[in-house]
Amino acid sequence: MTTDRTVAGSPAEFAAPGTSIVVDHVSRWYGNVVAVNDISFSLSAGVTGLLGPNGAGKTTLLHLISGLLRPSAGGVTVAGVPAWRHPAMYRHVGLVPEREAVHGYLTAREFVLLNARLQGVTDAEGATLRAIATVELQDAADRPINTYSKGMRQRAKVAGALVHDPAVLLLDEPFNGMDPRQRLHMMGLLRGMAAAGRTILFSSHILEEVERMADSVLVIHAGRLAASGDFRSIRRLMTDRPHTFTIRSSDDRRLAAALLADPAVFGAELGDGKLSVRTADFEGFGRALPRLARVAGISLFEITPTDESLESVFSYLVRR
Amino acid sequence: MITRMPLIAVTLRGVLGRRRTWLMILLASLPVLVALLIRAGGGQPNATTILDTLLIRTVMPLLALVFGTAALGSELEDGTAIYLMVKPIPRWHILLAKMAVAASLTIALVFPVTVLTGLITDGRDALSLAEILGYALVVSAGGAAYACAFVALSAFTGRALILGLGYVLLWEGVLSGLLEGTRFLSIRQASLGLAAQVTGNVTTPPALDLATSAAILVAVVAGAILLGSMRLSRFEIRGSDG
Repeated sequence: MTTDRTVAGSPAEFAAPGTSIVVDHVSRWYGNVVAVNDISFSLSAGVTGLLGPNGAGKTTLLHLISGLLRPSAGGVTVAGVPAWRHPAMYRHVGLVPEREAVHGYLTAREFVLLNARLQGVTDAEGATLRAIATVELQDAADRPINTYSKGMRQRAKVAGALVHDPAVLLLDEPFNGMDPRQRLHMMGLLRGMAAAGRTILFSSHILEEVERMADSVLVIHAGRLAASGDFRSIRRLMTDRPHTFTIRSSDDRRLAAALLADPAVFGAELGDGKLSVRTADFEGFGRALPRLARVAGISLFEITPTDESLESVFSYLVRR
Repeated sequence: MITRMPLIAVTLRGVLGRRRTWLMILLASLPVLVALLIRAGGGQPNATTILDTLLIRTVMPLLALVFGTAALGSELEDGTAIYLMVKPIPRWHILLAKMAVAASLTIALVFPVTVLTGLITDGRDALSLAEILGYALVVSAGGAAYACAFVALSAFTGRALILGLGYVLLWEGVLSGLLEGTRFLSIRQASLGLAAQVTGNVTTPPALDLATSAAILVAVVAGAILLGSMRLSRFEIRGSDG
C-alpha cells in the first residue's frame, strides 16, 4: 500500500532526482530468520516515520540504510552513494542510534567536537557550539555525559549527528527519555530541518509522535513493508474496512434516515447527541452528505472522521 | 592524519580514564619490585632471568592484551564504536589509531621498566647500559606486536581477552615449549630470540635467530593490520533485532 512522496516499488520507477534514500529489494537474514524481507522504497526531503511492532525489523532496516549491516540481498544507496562499505556516504548522513552508549567520559562539548572533527568540518568549534545550542544543551555541555539523564544523552547524540549539517538524518527512537517539552522542541527542530530540504527518517513505537511529526510513514511488519506514504491516504486505500464519521446536525434522526438510503452508507447509529455513520466509500460519502442534507433541509454543524488516526491505520495493517 | 588525531585522543581517554591504568602500572612494575626484593634480601638478581621470565613471558603480553582489547574491543562491546564507524574515514584509519594507542601504552610501560630492572640488577650476568637499552627496544617491539595482534583480534571477536589469554598461557606457555614447530607462531619466542641476540644469552633449546625473530614480529604486525582492516571494513553492528 503506497502513496505520494514515499514510494515503494521497483527502483527504476522511483530513483528520481532529489531522492536521498533508495532501498532496492533489500533483504537481511540471520541463518533461518528473515529480519527484513524484500523491501523497496525511496525517500526524498521531509520527515518519514518508521513504524512497526517490536521485532518487526525497524532497527535492522535503519542499520542497513546507515551501512552498518550488509544486505543479504538487494542494495541501499544514500545520497547516491552505496551504503555498504562506502564510508564517504557518511558525509551526507547523521545517525542517532537507539543504544544509549556514548563515550561517557567525554563532555557533550567534547563528544560533539569529536564528531565534527571526524566529519572533517572546517570550523569544528563553531559547528559544535551551534549544534549544542540547537538541542538546548548549553548549560550542561561541559559535564561528562555519564552524569546525564537519558533525555540529555539523547540530545547530545542528536547534536553529534547534526553537527556536520547532513542531508540525511536517521534516528532510531530519538524521543526516548525526553520530557514532553524536550520532545516538542526536538519535533520542531526536525520539522524545521525537513522544511529546509533534509531527509529525515525516524523510528518510533509511539504513534502519536509519528502522527504529529511525519509527513509520511513506512509501516514494517514481520520484516515486510506493509504500507508507505501519507497515513490518511493509506487509510483511504483500505477499502475492505469501513470509514466511520461522527456527525452533529440540526436533526440527526432525519439525517440518519436519509443517509441509510444512500448505497455508500451501510450503518448509522444515534447516541450521545451524535450520529455515527459507517461507509465503504470515503470520497463518495463526502460528496453525498452535503447533497442529502441540503435536500432534507438539515444543517450540518460538525463532521469528524473517527478512525482516521495513525493508530487505527497501524492496528489494521499489523493485524491484517 | 588530521582525522586520526581525534581518534587517538578519544582512544587514549577511553583506555586511560579508568582504574585499569593503575592496575597496569602495578603489573608493569613487577620486575622492578622483584629485583628490588632480591637485592633487599641480600641476593644478586639476574637481569636476563628476570627480564626473560617475568617481563617477556608474563608482563609484556598481559599489558598488551589489556591495552589491545581495551582500545577497540571495549568500544565494540559497549556500542560506542558506532560513533567512529559512521564517519567518512577509512576503517583502517580507525584500526591504526587503536593499534598506535595500544602499542604506545605498552611501550610506555615496558621500556622504562626494562631499563630500571636492568639498572637495579647487578648479578653475575649484569647488563651494560647498551645491552639494557637494546633489551628495552626488543621488549618494545615485542609489546607492539602483541598489542597490534590483540587489537586485530578484538575486531573479530567479543572474547578477545579470553582468547588472547589462552594464546599467551596455553599456546605460548605450554605448546611452544613442547612442540618445536609452534615457536614460529609465537611472539614470545620471537621476542626471546631478539633478546638473546642483545644479551648473548645461550638457552636450551637455542633461541630463534635474529632474522627469523624479526620476520615473525614484522609478519605479526603486518598480518594484524591487514586482517584487522579487512574485518573492520566489513564491520556489522550487533543486536539489530528491532
